[in-house]
Amino acid sequence: MMVEKRTSRTLGTGHDTFWEWCGKGELRLQRCASCDHMQWPAGASCENCGSTDFGWEAMSGRGKVVSWCTFERDYYHGLLPMPWNTILVELEEGPLFISNPKGFTWQDVTPDMPVKVAFIDCEDDAGPFRLPVFEKA
Amino acid sequence: MSEFSFARTPPASREMSCKAAIVGIGETDYHDDYKAQRARAPGYQAPEVEELATRAFERAIADAGIDRKDIDGLACSFTYGGPPPDAMANLLGLSPRYSIANGNIMAGPLPAVCAAIAEGKADTVAMVYSVASRAIGREYGGATYGSGEGAPTSYYYYHPWGWSSQAAHWAMMFNYFANRYGATERDLGAVAKQVRDHAALNPNAVMQKPITIDDYMASRYIVRPFHLFDLCLVNDGAVCLIVTKDDIAKAMDNVPVHVAGWGESRVTKSKLQAMVKERLRLQMEDSAQQMFGMAGMTLADVQHFGCYDASTMHLVNQVEGFGFTPPGTGFDFCKDGQMGIDGRMPTNTDGGNLSGSYMHGWSQVVEAVRQLRGEAGPRQVRDARVAMTSLVQTDQSHPILYVRGDA
Repeated sequence: MMVEKRTSRTLGTGHDTFWEWCGKGELRLQRCASCDHMQWPAGASCENCGSTDFGWEAMSGRGKVVSWCTFERDYYHGLLPMPWNTILVELEEGPLFISNPKGFTWQDVTPDMPVKVAFIDCEDDAGPFRLPVFEKA
Repeated sequence: MSEFSFARTPPASREMSCKAAIVGIGETDYHDDYKAQRARAPGYQAPEVEELATRAFERAIADAGIDRKDIDGLACSFTYGGPPPDAMANLLGLSPRYSIANGNIMAGPLPAVCAAIAEGKADTVAMVYSVASRAIGREYGGATYGSGEGAPTSYYYYHPWGWSSQAAHWAMMFNYFANRYGATERDLGAVAKQVRDHAALNPNAVMQKPITIDDYMASRYIVRPFHLFDLCLVNDGAVCLIVTKDDIAKAMDNVPVHVAGWGESRVTKSKLQAMVKERLRLQMEDSAQQMFGMAGMTLADVQHFGCYDASTMHLVNQVEGFGFTPPGTGFDFCKDGQMGIDGRMPTNTDGGNLSGSYMHGWSQVVEAVRQLRGEAGPRQVRDARVAMTSLVQTDQSHPILYVRGDA
């Protein structure tokens, strides 16, 4: 099994729960129990109303690629192979999710291309974790 | 200190309009300093924040025609650290009754000082901004940012996916925009070329050699689809503005440039949505409404525009977002020459951050003053009486309006 080294995640209240769900192979995002706002990135409190009462809503894992950019400059100093592809996925449920393509590159991207979530094994300074990425649906 | 310690922008109010004016400007030698840094001749010493700030200050008081003893306020804006205000005051030989550390990028500092003057805290304030970004090897992506520095979440949250940098924000915005409106890399190149053409008319611009769109296409990619020329410079320098009460300004030799209005608007939730899909249009609209309401003016009054252009797309997005051209038409507006000196909205006539100097929004203020005084030489916009600058960040908008004060 190949484990990819990545730059550290943001951890703490809210964030930890997101990564725990990823560890179980599930993409779940915070839904505020008070105002119903769906929040990504995760946080300790609701960016809309300040409540700390969240439910964790399961995403379908389906979405479409609405934008992308590919790094030719190696900002992470050798950690990642260059060029490094990133995509912006609009999840079926609405939130925009920055991620990586799995099994394709920017050259394969077509407008609103359908994708589905996959989890890959990674590790950072805090240890191993599973990272949500997207493959062609 | 990081670039995310913003100055508080006071509320836009009619009473604050034109109560203070810019009467002195000073800048360091962006072009020569950059060349010296690249050449690194034997004995070369990288500049320091204090020395740069002092140089800009001396030029600003000479420009204003005042003595340092006339200054009773000091506002320091050092993006990547610098001396505290009392130490800087000592260095400059000042004994101010009002001295503050005043954020850093041009998102709040000038309105804060204008409000302080209107409230009687000081009569004449030297505003000093200084950075040694290049000397300290500042990077604008990668693990530079963490969660503890007050940076927007998007600056650090996506590290596990290898996504970061200013460039990546605007590249994501551009590709979304391109899908919707059909823009190309050559269109980006046209913006880079336009701004470079302006820089060629500015003897202090860092990059003055004209480029063609083919030069642009041949330049290396940084974050695809962005090439080198899509992204702003990284250089060292300082800016000083002398700001004084309107009645004192009237008695001075320079034509005063009044600060007529300002506004501020921030995204508070779903920030990627607001940036990529809505392109911060709501924030620009909201903040501009505050600014024009404060000044009692409209968009139609604006004759010169200077915006914080961290990238070509960033620039086009502000030209569109403030309403100088309809959504989706910004690149055509540029290609038609409408951002040029004789265009419908002369924009970043000093070369902006892309080719002129990266002073975090401060050089745009200096150019607005030059244009309104009629001192912009070969790049002078005819009869310019009203100018606007804007600093739009990834999640906020800060426009300022200036009026030539001899009316």
